[in-house]
Amino acid sequence: MAAVTRRLLLGSVGLAVLGGAAYGASRVVCRFVPRNHPDFFSLLELAPDGEASRRVGEALLSQSDMSLDLPRLASSLAGRPFTRAAMGETCPTSRAALVKDQCALDFAEGRIVMVDGWLLSETEAALCAGRLLCGATA
Amino acid sequence: MISDLRTGGAPAEIEGEVCVVGTGPAGMTIALELARKGRRVVLLEGGGDAYEDDTQDLYRGEVVGHRNIDVANSRLRQFGGTSGHWTGLCAPLDALDFEPREGLGGFGWPIRRADLDPFYARAQGYLDLGPYRYDWEDWRRIVPLPALPLDPSRVITDVFQQSPPTRFAEKYHGAVEAEPRIDCWLHANLTDVRLAEGSNAVSSLSVSTLEGHVATVRAKTFVLACGGIENARILLNARAQRPAGIGNEHGLVGRYYTDHMTIEATTVLLADSVDARLYSESQIYDGAELQFGLRLTPELTKRERLTTNSAFLVPQHANEIYSTDYRNHGWIAFSSMVKAFSRGHMPDRLAEHYCDAVDDLGSVATGVFRQVARRVAPPEAAHVFKLRQDAEQAPNPDSRVYLIDAKDRFGQNRIALDWRVSADDLLRLRRTHELIGQAIGAAGLGRVQLGIAETPDLDMAFSGYHHMGTTRMHSDPRRGVVDANCRVHSVENLYIGGSSVFTTGGCANPTLTIVALAIRLAERLAATA
Ligand SMILES: Cc1cc2nc3c(=O)[nH]c(=O)nc-3n(C[C@H](O)[C@H](O)[C@H](O)COP(=O)(O)OP(=O)(O)OC[C@H]3O[C@@H](n4cnc5c(N)ncnc54)[C@H](O)[C@@H]3O)c2cc1C
Repeated sequence: MAAVTRRLLLGSVGLAVLGGAAYGASRVVCRFVPRNHPDFFSLLELAPDGEASRRVGEALLSQSDMSLDLPRLASSLAGRPFTRAAMGETCPTSRAALVKDQCALDFAEGRIVMVDGWLLSETEAALCAGRLLCGATA
Repeated sequence: MISDLRTGGAPAEIEGEVCVVGTGPAGMTIALELARKGRRVVLLEGGGDAYEDDTQDLYRGEVVGHRNIDVANSRLRQFGGTSGHWTGLCAPLDALDFEPREGLGGFGWPIRRADLDPFYARAQGYLDLGPYRYDWEDWRRIVPLPALPLDPSRVITDVFQQSPPTRFAEKYHGAVEAEPRIDCWLHANLTDVRLAEGSNAVSSLSVSTLEGHVATVRAKTFVLACGGIENARILLNARAQRPAGIGNEHGLVGRYYTDHMTIEATTVLLADSVDARLYSESQIYDGAELQFGLRLTPELTKRERLTTNSAFLVPQHANEIYSTDYRNHGWIAFSSMVKAFSRGHMPDRLAEHYCDAVDDLGSVATGVFRQVARRVAPPEAAHVFKLRQDAEQAPNPDSRVYLIDAKDRFGQNRIALDWRVSADDLLRLRRTHELIGQAIGAAGLGRVQLGIAETPDLDMAFSGYHHMGTTRMHSDPRRGVVDANCRVHSVENLYIGGSSVFTTGGCANPTLTIVALAIRLAERLAATA
């Protein structure tokens, strides 16, 4: 029983060391692997947490022909130049400015949604919808 | 010289080279221009020097179509015509307004804006306006406020000028009185237009006072300048020799009535950092009082098959001192008296103005309080605006003026006004607002909430009191009543002055164009009549 316990202990430690080494090595190696891992959730903070924002979100979700979920929203925002840059931006002010630029570009390119008569850019509506979906899944 | 047909000894026969009927901006301008060019003019006016109930009653009629309009109070039958009422906002029609436009029945004017430019320039003086400059580019170096930085290929800043407003009765009474070549008759109501037997030329007009003094007026050339509704009514009533009315061979007289749809709808919310002062209040530079609005470029208007529109930004202040709901007849009368006194003049129509102000003392007191409060309160820049406009309608033959059985004291049939406002008219305006909203969003300036629903509420449109189109200009007699020279197609010597000749309404208030066309017509008649 004692032998089993010692072996088990040594094995576990060995596994943990190996696992740790593998994890450490992976982290080191992964640094050199180019990846696109935009921070979608940080953008959602830009949508105000209020009744208006909720209505905009609901309107977009109900108007959209395909069912929108968080991954779809994230990938659609990642597909737009300024929101893609915003997802990789850590400074909140620069992030907000990039999102504003994306909204302006949406308007210029006619990507507009209408909620209660308000003409809104698809990006701002998507952020409101994202916030709503996040709230629902939380 | 001004005489009154009601006075004893008034003649039964009056003669001149050119006879002009109506002393509003159209008729008065034509008469003055012709006289300056040495022509002898008989100028006929149905009303007197001042307002008279029984004369004004001749304008009564029925409203049978869209209700937000009126046919009697929106016109003045007296010396100076409706210029006694007008508020003075002016702009020329845009070059696009003259062109045939797809989606608007393909109607275009048989003249171009360039044909009118020299006359517009001269019309400015008649209406006490500044220089003939209506492009923002002409003013941007002079006016020290920025225009909204919108994509110039889509939305531009539009310029209007404000007339004092010129009251033709006050301003030109002396000139008409002193002009020996003008023989002006008051209380001379036109009651019939007579064609020479077997010809297509007018030989004489019958005129009458309400008291029954009748006279015949002979001239070589005749001009009707009785306003956008009355010009059609007179032609339709002249049935003694032409059963359908004079000039009405193709059933067009009275049709295509168009007005500006006065609408305040759609909210613009601008970011706090945006400077919109240029659009919030009128600016005075270079002797001109200017007002600025937003409009789509002609190219975009054409591409989208829209009617034209110029939208003014009306500031929405939370503070009540900025509200202008006190502006009614009383306030307008009071402020015109104050303006006259401050210039050291006696106000015109003092008794009328005084009584209007007394009747509305509450509004006058509110107005005075708010005007003072605005000067002492810290300035408040507005960031929320409503779009206010006099929007164009598409020409519509079913929108019209026609005769009804009821008669006036001269036995002339009164009219019904069937003004049509269509959902399509409002949907075009909605699309215009959408495009403005898109440009505001694209410039990162703010957001727009459309105030016109997808199924529009037609009741939101009010008449601009701009009566147009009832004797429209077209080179083809089957599509218009007058030709490019404002001559009735089927009558050799009968011309029309005023906005009834407008082929399309555009979005500029009509009087500047009326006066420009009047000068142009006078020039032609002086050369040919
Ligand atoms: C409240 C209001 C505000 C306005 N504001 C503006 C504005 O800001 N800008 C703008 O451009 N326009 C404005 N207008 C419109 C403007 O007043 C008219 O465009 C202008 O007065 C038309 O001029 P006119 O000479 O064609 O017709 P009118 O001014 O109507 O003159 C017609 C003349 O014909 C006479 N007459 C009529 N019938 C007969 C007859 N049978 N015999 C003899 N004489 C006759 C009348 O007595 C009158 O003198 C406004 C109108 C109103 C009512």
